Amino acid sequence: MNNVCEEQVFSSIFKSNSKTIFNYIYYKFGNEEKAHDAVQEAFVKLWENCAKVMPEKAKSYLYTVANNLYLNVLKAEKVRLKYADSSLEHTNESPEFLMEEKEYKQKLDKALEGLPENQRTTFLLNRIDGKKYAEIAEMEGVSVKAIEKRMHLALKTLREQIDGI
Amino acid sequence: MQENYLAKWLNGELSEEELTEFKKTESYASYKKLKEVSGTLKTPEFDVDQAWNTFKNKGSEEMPKVITLNPFKQFLRVAAVVAVLLSGSYFYLNSLNESFSTQLAERSEVLLPDNSEIILNADSKVSFSEKKWSEKRNVNLEGEAFFKVAKGKKFTVSTKNGTVAVLGTQFNVENRNGFFEVTCYEGLVSVTYNNIERKLPAGTSFVAINGKIQDFDNITIAQPSWMSNESSFQSIPLKYVLAEFERQFNIEVKTENIDAEQLFTGTFNNNSIKLALESISIPSQISYKLGEDNVLFYAGNTP
Repeated sequence: MNNVCEEQVFSSIFKSNSKTIFNYIYYKFGNEEKAHDAVQEAFVKLWENCAKVMPEKAKSYLYTVANNLYLNVLKAEKVRLKYADSSLEHTNESPEFLMEEKEYKQKLDKALEGLPENQRTTFLLNRIDGKKYAEIAEMEGVSVKAIEKRMHLALKTLREQIDGI
Repeated sequence: MQENYLAKWLNGELSEEELTEFKKTESYASYKKLKEVSGTLKTPEFDVDQAWNTFKNKGSEEMPKVITLNPFKQFLRVAAVVAVLLSGSYFYLNSLNESFSTQLAERSEVLLPDNSEIILNADSKVSFSEKKWSEKRNVNLEGEAFFKVAKGKKFTVSTKNGTVAVLGTQFNVENRNGFFEVTCYEGLVSVTYNNIERKLPAGTSFVAINGKIQDFDNITIAQPSWMSNESSFQSIPLKYVLAEFERQFNIEVKTENIDAEQLFTGTFNNNSIKLALESISIPSQISYKLGEDNVLFYAGNTP
């Protein structure tokens, strides 16, 4: 029997989902500390209701709890993201190129900051966490088509912002 | 170009033609760059193991509910209930008194923990606590019984009508509706009836009928007559005699036109119903008619 109340099942749910929950809340609100809290809160709630939540529903339950925690409560802050350090791989790049890269990343940062929350979350869940549209749709409780729409708009807006159109 | 083609492209869902077409657009290079760079984005550090430890510690400190990690909790719940029920019923059953009773026309002997003996007459019941016997020798009696009490602490017979306390003796207690009789055959018996205490030396008896007390001091036999299969009476209203007759022979007694209050002195045999009927009817100057499971006592010649 796969029961969320079993420590093994629960800990495996924790290990495979906690980072995504953290990221998910961070994308939405840009608050690292609150994202950490949201992970804890969501899992406490899941534990308290472990008998009522089917293992296959645990994931969407966690995202719903985490999201509802700060919905309409927390004011979104600036989402600060880093970039994988590529300087080691490209040591032979020209300083000009590196400069361009740096500028591009600043533009991207700014553009991401300007995105509507749902587009940013969808975009980053896909780009950073490698989540499929269907998974994001489940997390957000919307249709896959709606996620595709957000993704499309996110890409379009980002490109326009970066290219200065 | 289909709807949301940028999302499809990012997901590698575009067809060959669509892809070729998309590549021709001037914005393609920008999107390609965006795809590449966004792929190198990183979120703030998140240590899963540390979060897990935080969660577990939180559980033990703040959230007592998290103790439910113990998979035995359900089992413990059930076990606790079972334990309570078991121990409860154990103590309850232990506190119950030992009980012996006789049916109509039956007699029984009960041996008490200290080897004292009780002989129960028909339709009688005694109960006592075996557990507490060593602390308190107390017997509850309904009906009639003869006691041979071993020497020791105070021995008490409690009845609805009164209590009898002795040290070590032989005595008979009869306690029926409205009728309370104690006869002492050996030693000294203390009878408490309606807050009146009476000491009965050997060979005397105490009778209370509907609250009226009588004493007799001419008991010469060594044990009650019913123990030698006879029922003896000395100035006892006839209705109690007939009630005893009913008990001894398990037969229904009916009466017609007779004075049930008239006093009866005599004995009837407990083995032969014929003899017993004669013993009752002749001295009382009444007639009887024996049916299959009843007997009718009547005055005069015809019922």
